[in-house]
Amino acid sequence: MPRSYTLRQTLAIATFAGLLLYWYQADHFSNELITEIAIFAILAMSLDLLAGVTGMVSLGHAALFGSGAYLYALLSVVWGWPASVAMPVASLAVGALAFIVALVVTRVQGIFFIMITLAIGEMAHEFFFHNKTLGGDDGFGDIPRIDFGVIGANMGIDLQVSSTFALAVLLIAIVIYMILARILASPFGAVLHGLHDNTARLRALGLPVRSYQCSVFALSGLLAGLAGTLSAQHTMYISPQLLSWTTSGEVLVMVIVGGLGTIIGPVIGAAALVLLRHELSDVTRYWGFWLGLCLILIVIGGRNGIIGWLEWAWARITSRVDGQDNNAAR
Amino acid sequence: MLTDGGFWLVQILNSLQLAMLLFLLSVGLTVIFGLLNFVNLAHGSLYALGALCSYSIVQLTGSMWWAYVLAPIAVCLVGALLYITIIDRMRAAGPLRQVLVTFGLLFMLTDAQRFIWGTDQLGVSGTPFAHSLSIAGQTYPAYRLFIIAVGLVVFVALHLLLEYTRLGREVRAAVDDAETASCMGVNVQRTFFMVFLVGCALAGLAGAVALPAFSAEAGMGVAILVPTLVIVVVGGLGSFKGAFVGSLLIGTTLTFGQVWFPQFAGVLMYALLVVVLLFKPAGLLPARSAAGS
Repeated sequence: MPRSYTLRQTLAIATFAGLLLYWYQADHFSNELITEIAIFAILAMSLDLLAGVTGMVSLGHAALFGSGAYLYALLSVVWGWPASVAMPVASLAVGALAFIVALVVTRVQGIFFIMITLAIGEMAHEFFFHNKTLGGDDGFGDIPRIDFGVIGANMGIDLQVSSTFALAVLLIAIVIYMILARILASPFGAVLHGLHDNTARLRALGLPVRSYQCSVFALSGLLAGLAGTLSAQHTMYISPQLLSWTTSGEVLVMVIVGGLGTIIGPVIGAAALVLLRHELSDVTRYWGFWLGLCLILIVIGGRNGIIGWLEWAWARITSRVDGQDNNAAR
Repeated sequence: MLTDGGFWLVQILNSLQLAMLLFLLSVGLTVIFGLLNFVNLAHGSLYALGALCSYSIVQLTGSMWWAYVLAPIAVCLVGALLYITIIDRMRAAGPLRQVLVTFGLLFMLTDAQRFIWGTDQLGVSGTPFAHSLSIAGQTYPAYRLFIIAVGLVVFVALHLLLEYTRLGREVRAAVDDAETASCMGVNVQRTFFMVFLVGCALAGLAGAVALPAFSAEAGMGVAILVPTLVIVVVGGLGSFKGAFVGSLLIGTTLTFGQVWFPQFAGVLMYALLVVVLLFKPAGLLPARSAAGS
């Protein structure tokens, strides 16, 4: 379906252009929102790579996200490493950790996969909840952001300024989207789609299914870890809540609301939910109720989230313009 | 500490009490799981609903006994509503969509409970069995023994129901192979619905029973859900005896873990789940025969 791909690409350009435009006229508070959107967009894209594209639905993804944040805090605050070294090292370490976890969890499928990722994620949550060095259930504060020093000051780049930091995180999200889009268009991406559709057939074709699954889990974990290091730098404070399975669930909701397996859908979902939460929390204290209702309606609605509905609407409009039969277009 | 008989007695009773409470929850969840292949993440919220309803019933009638009767019925009605409006539609959907819908329900129910009952811890006074008993030189709250008794009674009653009634035979047949059972003239749809209602009622009963011992709050359903899910998987999906054995195992692990390594009690439970999933993926006491699955 080349047409729906161009539609998705158009949507991706429109979404990121919209976010950049929002940044251009943003005040201090909007910058905080944009940063949050971009961080959750990275996290949601990484989960979509795993759950939507490859069909491995994880309820422990927040544990990788939180581990990234905690590792960054450990390296930069407790061990005193420079932030610009701590960030890539923490992300890569989470990627390696995800690979080890994947070796275990890829042995089971379906609902068991959901349960085992939930269990391992909660194990990590318990670990940080009781870890006194890293603040335990009180959380951990005073986390530094990357400092470009004199060079940065000369070029006017200071990440302590919220608008600069928002732009930096947003640009990282855009780069990650482009990398993921490139990966999915490659033969490796074709294998991932195949794993979603029919794992048994790929195995019969002689592909090493589990090493593909482990690789994609590691890549997804690396991106989630990166999002975690950004989140730690954004709020400069972390708590075990980052790793809890309800956080994983919320990210999964972003993926679903946007559109599973579309990569740009989760970005739209992240933006929609962060903005909606901000807007609704002014009106009602019971934001979870409306979030839950939204989620149920989207799942029961039967189309693939916002992207699914837009593609459906687009197909109807174009078929009407072309004068084709509506039923044929469906 | 290890040679002190009183310590062992109290901790074993604590384990049993936690296990029985978890059993009331996990038995409903596991049979729903086994029959409908449906993961109900909102099951914990029904437990919270049972506890909160009990609180209101005690406020109205002044007696906990009414709560034991009426709270399960109230939860049952909410369960029926959920089944008819949402869950019945989702039966044919894949695990991802089911998990998401019940996740949405979990959010909705939790916030609805916050809206109705507020966010405070709600406790009741003047409950039955509020005194303490002396067992082998140890004082122990009688109410906890009552929880153990309720759990055992429910276990025996469900066992009799499953083994000796028509509904029980239909349930066992449908867990083993729903399609064949349907061909043999079992109204599987009706069986599903009945089982779902019984599961909801037991969750409500668990909430009512837990209220005097632990008090109630709107978020309590999320916290208890995870150990319940662990029990269901460890025991074997759809396995009634598995739920019982799993509850004992997890209740003991959590209680003794809390005493000996308070930092790692939770980790121990999850480690147990991972080990079982890797080496006995069907659970300790699988519900389906090997050929059937």
